[in-house]
Amino acid sequence: MGYEPLVNQNPLRVLNLGRGNKQLGLVMARAGLGKTALLVQIALDSILRGNRVIHVSIGESIDKTRAWYDDILQFILQDHSVSRPHELIDMVARHRMIMTFKEDAFSRPRLEERLNDLILQDIFRPNCLVVDGFDFESADRATVEDIKEFLESMSLQAWFSATRHRNDDRISPAGVPAPCHEVDDLFDTVILLKPEKDATIELEIIRNNGVDADTEAGAGLKLDPSTMMIKEG
Amino acid sequence: MLREVAVSNRIRELQCILQLLFYLPDKLPLAGDYGTKDYTLTAKSSDLCAEVEEREMKRDLEKVRNIGISAHIDSGKTTLTERILYYTQRIHAIHEVRGKDGVGATMDSMELEKERGITIQSAATFCNWKGHDINIIDTPGHVDFTVEVERALRVLDGAILILCSVGGVQSQSITVDRQMTRYNVPRIAFINKCDRTGANPYRVTQQLRDKLNLNAVMLQIPIGLENDMEGVVDLVTMKAVYFDGEQGDKVRYEEIPDHLKDEAEEKREELLDAVSMFSDELMEAMLEEQEIPEEMIHAAIRKGTLSLELAPVMLGSAYKNKGVQPLLDAVNAYLPCPLDVENIALDLDNDEAEVKVSNDPNDKLVALAFKLEDGRYGQLTYIRTYQGVIRKGDTIVNTRTGKKLKVGRLVRLHADEMEEIEEAGSGDIVALFGVDCASGDTFCGEGLNWSMSSMHVPAPVISLAIRPVDNKAQGNMSKALNRFTKEDPTFKTYVDHETNETIISGMGELHLEVYIERMKREYNAEVEIGAPQVAYRETITNRAEFNYTHKKQTGGSGQFGRVGGYMEPLEEGEYEFVDEIVGGVIPREYIPSCDKGFQASMKKGTLIGAPITGVRIVINDGSFHAVDSSDMAFQQAAKGAFREGYAKASPVIMEPIMKVAVEGPSEFQGAVMGSLNQRRGMIVGTFEEGNYTVVEAEMPLSEMFGYSTTLRSLTQGKAEFTMEFSSYKQVPKSVADDLIKAYQAEKSEG
Repeated sequence: MGYEPLVNQNPLRVLNLGRGNKQLGLVMARAGLGKTALLVQIALDSILRGNRVIHVSIGESIDKTRAWYDDILQFILQDHSVSRPHELIDMVARHRMIMTFKEDAFSRPRLEERLNDLILQDIFRPNCLVVDGFDFESADRATVEDIKEFLESMSLQAWFSATRHRNDDRISPAGVPAPCHEVDDLFDTVILLKPEKDATIELEIIRNNGVDADTEAGAGLKLDPSTMMIKEG
Repeated sequence: MLREVAVSNRIRELQCILQLLFYLPDKLPLAGDYGTKDYTLTAKSSDLCAEVEEREMKRDLEKVRNIGISAHIDSGKTTLTERILYYTQRIHAIHEVRGKDGVGATMDSMELEKERGITIQSAATFCNWKGHDINIIDTPGHVDFTVEVERALRVLDGAILILCSVGGVQSQSITVDRQMTRYNVPRIAFINKCDRTGANPYRVTQQLRDKLNLNAVMLQIPIGLENDMEGVVDLVTMKAVYFDGEQGDKVRYEEIPDHLKDEAEEKREELLDAVSMFSDELMEAMLEEQEIPEEMIHAAIRKGTLSLELAPVMLGSAYKNKGVQPLLDAVNAYLPCPLDVENIALDLDNDEAEVKVSNDPNDKLVALAFKLEDGRYGQLTYIRTYQGVIRKGDTIVNTRTGKKLKVGRLVRLHADEMEEIEEAGSGDIVALFGVDCASGDTFCGEGLNWSMSSMHVPAPVISLAIRPVDNKAQGNMSKALNRFTKEDPTFKTYVDHETNETIISGMGELHLEVYIERMKREYNAEVEIGAPQVAYRETITNRAEFNYTHKKQTGGSGQFGRVGGYMEPLEEGEYEFVDEIVGGVIPREYIPSCDKGFQASMKKGTLIGAPITGVRIVINDGSFHAVDSSDMAFQQAAKGAFREGYAKASPVIMEPIMKVAVEGPSEFQGAVMGSLNQRRGMIVGTFEEGNYTVVEAEMPLSEMFGYSTTLRSLTQGKAEFTMEFSSYKQVPKSVADDLIKAYQAEKSEG
């Protein structure tokens, strides 16, 4: 594809995103800290590796979701010299599909039906799925297990985002806060976005590909709040 | 002078009496009761006179509203306009759109529109509501006519966005709303058809927030929905509003019914919360839990609406005569007057510097011709004045042509009927008779040379060959085409010199279809049409050098010129010419000749004969001959250089890509996506809500011919789509090869 330098320079390489399918990831943060930005960067990384990504956005519009990609691509293009920027933008558009659902319209059967529509008619064969805005608070463990099982059966890598609440202190033994503290074992990778005193946002990698990391080891990645780009701290 | 006034007063009184006589038959008191009759007459005539005088005096700008009514097709726009005209007493009977009574609604003045139940032309009409003069521009509802919509939006100060309470925010509403945002038009949303089964204004309000990103706030809640809809609760006055009488003309205010009291309180809180952002006074009053005066709420809503940060939501059912009068009140209360809107003109004498129009009636006239129409009595030009006054007999200048013209008849319009007027003040929308101009032209008073900023006009993407069936049709066809090109800047026509065919081009299939229909109906010009052609383009993808010598020695004076340099892709723009010649290797006077030669080559590419765009030419070398070099020689050399460079610069074919949105029930989503995919489409995304879904895709225009038929049969007619031009993109290799083959075949045949 010719975009290896972009992939190799990506600070997200510590997550070993290219390691293969069936990986299930989770990004957690309070509202407004950059979950969507991180998911979009994960999706773009996957696209640059030649994968196809479906971005499921729950409760958000197609235009807004696309605007995220446009903005982040612009930042990437500013920071790296790419010989034909239009080709890159075009390639991203062709390797990405946005599926938006109204909050109550999203369910596993619905998702399955949609993915089957796409795959059986050979319209779009995704390798990776990012799901932004899934409501973990009202989903029980069985629902999440069900979705995980479905994604595994489709050999899809998938990333979810979850919103933490300020007043909820519940936490799992591995250190994953509510509302995911009871389902955290279903995820292979868990990242927590934490605001720091110097106004940057730190990525705390609680678990990396099934290995519980001690908090310090995963550190060193930050999210620049002005651009929402991940950088090495 | 005094005598003149007295005479004109006398004449006016006589006019009023004559007007009154028209009403007399059904208002005549009992025969023999002369005293009463006399009394009625005097009272009526003085009343009428007073009303006429009052209206003239009150034409101050704060009481002028220039509004548009914009909506998705079939959400009841024409019906609403009809009701507005009825309640403002401009018409005296109500007709339905699809003309059960064979008359048709008043605003749809074209026969074709009546037949299809759609509005194509934006006729302007005038009415008066509670002392405010309202000019309504009826805007078209189909996306193929977006230039019409955009042109109408240009002259509007505010708009009513109509939504169907069942269908909600559909893709067309999104397109129209985006245009309104682009032109900074403040709007009030009116959720119509609340009497229909499945009506849910709350859902539609939420959609306004989600899909259009509007800060939508309900000013009313319904009293009953669907068949039980009785009226609305006004959340500002906290009164129930009912509409009595056969035509709903009697507005009755009552206490809020008990079962709605809690809901009304809750929604009023929401309303106050939202509008308190725009008024510190209101915020304070709320914090101190004081009684909040109505005026304070009105003022805050107005402020929010004008800043486009708030979209008031009103409800009703135009068809069932409910909610229209409060909507008119809201137009008066919340939409801007011409003074609230800043309009910019370009000073043509000062390098097109931007100047603000003053709105002052004492300044020189500035008016924009925004619409032409061929009426029964000749050409009608709709204008909007931005400053100054236009009077019958005035001399004005068309700043595009520089021609002076005299204002003949000046009329105010009510769809098909018109009222002669003597003058029109700043901010008004009126029409001129018999003025030769194109739409988009600016008229100024003598001594002023301004142009209202040019509108963004997209290039046509589709073309069609037409051939008149006989000689008579030939003449009529040219007349029609002449008119259409003046009316609509996106509609273009030319004669292809190679095939000798007349080609028309525009923004979409339907756009051209409508003009072909109009030719037939209005001009009696029957034409045969060819297959629609997509407007392809060619461009280059690599930098390539050229070095070409043009040399001819055939007796007499020879020709000599050498041009060297390179061409490269230009990301933005169509053509750029850079002169980097040093040391006079090409003399100064021949540089423009080179430019001309290159430009001439851009008109027709070598791949499929399409125009070439996106090329930067840089010349940096060359040579000349003291005797044999000429303008012609360098033009030829440039053409040769272009050919040489173009072949090496990896030329490609570009095609128009359309942004398509298909919406319909979710069960068909798979089938719809399949159909789009088959047509080389790229699906951008999908949106699902309940059982309703939208698929957005980018589609090559060439693949969209006949899609409406496919979609209908695929979805049992339950889905619909809208399409608008997005960009030009490179054609895939296999398709390009076919196009090139076809072009070569055509060329060898011809």
